[in-house]
Amino acid sequence: MKQLLLVALVALVPGTVCAQGPGATKLAGRIPPEAVPAIDSLIAAAVAESLPTEPLVQKALEGSAKGIPADRLVNGVRRGLVQLREARVLVGRALPGQPQPEGHVAAVAAALARGLPPAIAERMLTMATDEPPAPALHAAADLVAHRFNPDSAADLLVAAHAMGLHGERLLDVAVAADQELQRGGGRTPADALARVRAMLPNVPTPKVAVTPHGKTGS
Amino acid sequence: MTDRLDDAIELLKTTPAMSVESRVMAEVRRISGPTPRRRVFTWPRIATVGLALAAGLAAILLIPRTPDRLTPGESEGIAQFVGHFPGARSVEVVGSFNNWSRGLLHLRDENHDGIWHAAAVLPAGQHEYMFVVDGERWVTDPLAERFVDDGFGAGRENSVLIVRPAGQR
Repeated sequence: MKQLLLVALVALVPGTVCAQGPGATKLAGRIPPEAVPAIDSLIAAAVAESLPTEPLVQKALEGSAKGIPADRLVNGVRRGLVQLREARVLVGRALPGQPQPEGHVAAVAAALARGLPPAIAERMLTMATDEPPAPALHAAADLVAHRFNPDSAADLLVAAHAMGLHGERLLDVAVAADQELQRGGGRTPADALARVRAMLPNVPTPKVAVTPHGKTGS
Repeated sequence: MTDRLDDAIELLKTTPAMSVESRVMAEVRRISGPTPRRRVFTWPRIATVGLALAAGLAAILLIPRTPDRLTPGESEGIAQFVGHFPGARSVEVVGSFNNWSRGLLHLRDENHDGIWHAAAVLPAGQHEYMFVVDGERWVTDPLAERFVDDGFGAGRENSVLIVRPAGQR
């Protein structure tokens, strides 16, 4: 009997910690004490507004790991909360009357942080309302980061999606456009986009798991 | 001498036959006190085993797997990290995939040529990370394909990695 009680006790301990919230568990003892009240307040605000909290928890952990002073750390987390709010407004506008999954909001916030114009993010959301938006948002953000015209880049991705390229395959479209541009020969971004558009839907899939840059996935 | 042999023969006749192993184990049990069964289920032992199991589970869940066992699941992918850090004593990757914890994913430079590398199975999706060189210098991966301002006001950028699920490759 004693054994059973102890086993039950051991099994309950993690559950007790988790009951305080995953964010609290991850942050416990990891952020400067002077930043704790403000961070707690920001996370509580996110919870109250039904916004995802994980990006804020990660930002707090990141700042702490980097030794960022408490005031700047709090500002970084606050900035993250502002981005999530903006993202939620955008998701609500793109998908009116529909639920706003936390994953959608977090993905849009991440794309906006990478410099994707809000209007393009909205187009990516409306392009595929029944799919996770992250791949399309990343593909668009990739193209914009590589200085393609945002509207033209979005046009290409919408065309690719209409021709059956969904999800992660949209990242291949962005990679193909970048590779076309890298070929040189006086090729402009518009030329590169046109060439990729002409090859749709037969955009090559990366053949190897590791790209020349040493990263998987794109 | 004959008397001792006679005594031994009598003893063998009256004592039930036991193997050497049985006799050794009986002596071990006599010396060590409680039987192994009773000792296994003492409270401290259970607590120790419980904690060990919890620690093992945490290690499995939190520490990215090493290149020796790269078998991603359906919603995971393999990420490789490569950096050129000649003269560095240590290089590690710290990012959102390991809760920005230090000491979990180290790069290696077996050839001592300054090319450091590591591979890990990570959850599919977007991850932000930086290299930490020699335990103190935070470095943006110069070979990354994506970057994002880290938001702390010093103009420092995280590298962005998008891991595709292995099941979709």
